[in-house]
Amino acid sequence: MEDFFTIDVVYSESHMLFPKIVIGLLIIMGLGLLIPWLVKKIKNKESFSIKGKRFFEENYDKVKFWGGLALLTAWIFFLDKIGFIAASIIFMFLMLVLFQGKLKLKPIITSAAVSVVSTLATWLLFGVLFNITLP
Amino acid sequence: MEFTLTYFLLSLLGVCVGIIFGAIPGMTATMAVAVFLPLTYALDLSGALYLLLGLYVGGISGGLVPAILINIPGTPSSLASVFEGYPMAKRGEGERALKIAMVSSLIGGLFSLACLYFFTPPLASVAIKFSSIEKFLIILFALTVVGALSKGKMLLGVFSSFLGVLISLAGTFRDNNQLRLVPQIFRKELIYGFDMLPLLIGLFAVSQMLTEAENGMKSQASKEIFEMKKSAQQFSFRDFKGNIGSMLRSAIIGTFIGVLPGIGGSTASLLSYSQYKSWTKHPERVGTGDPEGLICTETADNALTGGALIPLLSLGLPGDNTTAVMIGAFMLHGLQVGPLFISENGDIWNGILFGLLIANLLMFVIMFSSIKWISNLVKIPPAFLYPVVMLMCIVGSYAINNGVMFDVWTMLIFGVLGYIFTKIGLPTTPFLIGFILGPQLEQYFIDTLKGNQGSLLAFVSPDRPIALVIWGLIAISIGYAVFEEVRHKKSLAAGTTDKNHVSLKDLDD
Repeated sequence: MEDFFTIDVVYSESHMLFPKIVIGLLIIMGLGLLIPWLVKKIKNKESFSIKGKRFFEENYDKVKFWGGLALLTAWIFFLDKIGFIAASIIFMFLMLVLFQGKLKLKPIITSAAVSVVSTLATWLLFGVLFNITLP
Repeated sequence: MEFTLTYFLLSLLGVCVGIIFGAIPGMTATMAVAVFLPLTYALDLSGALYLLLGLYVGGISGGLVPAILINIPGTPSSLASVFEGYPMAKRGEGERALKIAMVSSLIGGLFSLACLYFFTPPLASVAIKFSSIEKFLIILFALTVVGALSKGKMLLGVFSSFLGVLISLAGTFRDNNQLRLVPQIFRKELIYGFDMLPLLIGLFAVSQMLTEAENGMKSQASKEIFEMKKSAQQFSFRDFKGNIGSMLRSAIIGTFIGVLPGIGGSTASLLSYSQYKSWTKHPERVGTGDPEGLICTETADNALTGGALIPLLSLGLPGDNTTAVMIGAFMLHGLQVGPLFISENGDIWNGILFGLLIANLLMFVIMFSSIKWISNLVKIPPAFLYPVVMLMCIVGSYAINNGVMFDVWTMLIFGVLGYIFTKIGLPTTPFLIGFILGPQLEQYFIDTLKGNQGSLLAFVSPDRPIALVIWGLIAISIGYAVFEEVRHKKSLAAGTTDKNHVSLKDLDD
């Protein structure tokens, strides 16, 4: 009985001991979530196809969602390529215009102003005043 | 303890920015703290705490403004304030409702501050006696309790917290310097695992931006704000007469919910509201704009703040997810929060108490004196603010380890993951708590095994009464969860879905 409750902690292998336990628990809980879900599906004779199910909201804003994600990714990508100030002004401006969704003169001008001012302010505050490295 | 003008200004800045974050639907107190955390890099720990506590109190309080004026809670903790607050605004009593809510918030905040002051040191002195066994069990308790209150989704909550634990284990194991759970190509970047700060900035700010973008970044300003009529009933402190009892009850509920690890403001708010419904002497007024209900919800959600700091400063367990983020501030300054924190850092402990007091008073003065201006906050379009917030997220993630690009990618990865989590119904708060406590959970587990020749029976040894008590607590939390699960299923089957419970379902703050 005592043996059953004993785990040998081998030094060279000890880094995998706890992760294995956690993975084991996750698998057990995963099954605990999956099996009742499957049983319910089969009982109610529901189909397994993902047709008719939606991940996004109905009529979600495709342009703003994917555009926002793409702009953020590009922003990070170009951060250490073209520098913090250039990348931030460009991509923040584009993001502001995209989120406002109007291609008129006034929002474009305010977007440009906001992106330039906030980028420079951040740069001054962090880079110069606090001496924190920026790309 | 010293209190300088700088500290005062930091607190003021925190409260003002916090109120703005709280008042804009879609932005939360947690987000405010996460985004500003990297900025505290350049401050000393006391300064950082004045700023963060200001953000916390301001953020939780700011949420009451849109809840009352446009029927949308600004933060999850103001969730139940819409039930009585909005009908009042519709009657033209917006100003009265706001003032009642502000006074209640102040009282709730101060009550919980007193609890923090009185209960933390004794709890810490009990916790000092903890060995690795009790420490392991108390973390296990924290992880199960998060799941237990996930209403009808207990297993999913616990699953999420252990997923967080697993992610936190990636990297090098301190004991034998071996790398684990890291794909070959990321060996260099992940040698110390994922950094906590970019992870939480991603989980709480980037994922929120994606959700808002999906909904088209719509401004809520199009919603009509009801005029505050001069002829309507005005605010007076008489509104509180006869409601002292409900106020006290709600303050206790809020503080208690705060103390429970990982349980946030929406629960405090809803629980106090349902207590109000069953205790009120005027059931006919429920839902028609009854000040008593508003007093209850707003007292409870601010009472959360001090309560949530109690387990953090005595046991090292975050009481809600904003305090989970605050752990990051202590880490940045190389301090570990736990049982020894107060005795070893008396100065900082006093600073926290004072910072919380100042933040509550400033919050009240600022909000009460500038109601007109505060009401306009809800009109700020999120489309305008999110790009600026993203800028701060990027700078923060980059600066945290003095310029590591991989940290910025971490932020993006967990932003997308956090968004997917909310889509598939996996709660993010337990995940974060698991991630924060994971490495300690492992260390205490291994230490216990090593100290007891590998025997698992050490965890249930009768020589350790405190450990057995914690086992009891774990059993109670699981038992409660199972009971709730069954009740939830029954009520679903009966078709009597309680309006409030449904709204809690998908919210995790």
